[in-house]
Amino acid sequence: MIWKIFLFLLLCFVSIAGITFPIVENPQRWYEFPFIKGLEENAKIIFFHVPTAWLTVIAFFMTALYSFKYLRKKNLDDDAKSYAAAQLGIIFCILATVTGAVWAKFAWGAFWSWDPRQTSIFALLLIYGAWFALRSSIESEEKRATLSSVYAIIAFVTVPFFIFVMPRIMTGLHPGSADDTNAGPVIDFKMNANMQLIFFLSLIGFTILYFWMWRLGYKSLIYRDKLNKQLLIRG
Amino acid sequence: MEFLEKNAIYIVMIIVLIVWVGIFFYLLNLDKRIKNVEKEIGDKK
Repeated sequence: MIWKIFLFLLLCFVSIAGITFPIVENPQRWYEFPFIKGLEENAKIIFFHVPTAWLTVIAFFMTALYSFKYLRKKNLDDDAKSYAAAQLGIIFCILATVTGAVWAKFAWGAFWSWDPRQTSIFALLLIYGAWFALRSSIESEEKRATLSSVYAIIAFVTVPFFIFVMPRIMTGLHPGSADDTNAGPVIDFKMNANMQLIFFLSLIGFTILYFWMWRLGYKSLIYRDKLNKQLLIRG
Repeated sequence: MEFLEKNAIYIVMIIVLIVWVGIFFYLLNLDKRIKNVEKEIGDKK
């Protein structure tokens, strides 16, 4: 219970700080954010947009991890865990895409411009969209779990490349691209310590939220499967 | 659109709202699943 209250307070603080803390030219006090050329007030979306992309990575990692566990132990509970993680992964992947597109409309002038970052997240959506198509096309439980586990592990190999590598080595519009004059990875581009603090608090908060949602998700799947099996035995 | 360009903070607000919509859809999905389980339990009782 304690961590749920902690999570609530943390997310409240992050939301309030992320939206209301002022952006100034020369940050002096602890609650002031620095002015970043080209991003301005829009820079604040980093507290809400980046965590969604981060959760996409965590969720797809958990999908691959529990797929691997399933292949080793053949326990269908692990398959439920990997399915719940993938569901969250695709939701956050869509959220990262949509929030990014809304921001791009005002930062770059168009919702979609096939920037390397947008292209790579689109490829990810297709790869994991195919995963759901694969799952829903197989009737047998064991066969579905095995095939989708293999697919999930192979699919995860592409995730670090699409999220962390490709958008950074190619020139593009997204902050952190190879030709970004603010330089460096997205995380430390001209953020001051205060902005970084709120940013990492936000990442921690969203990560805890993810694990909570994931636990509820896979528990409901496991109970549903258990119930179905009991009903089958009783006939 | 012009209003949003001048008041970028509302874009941040829209983005927070979109994140909440996503979480809300996940909850709806979860709710549906749990309701189905409840129904199955109810049928057999």
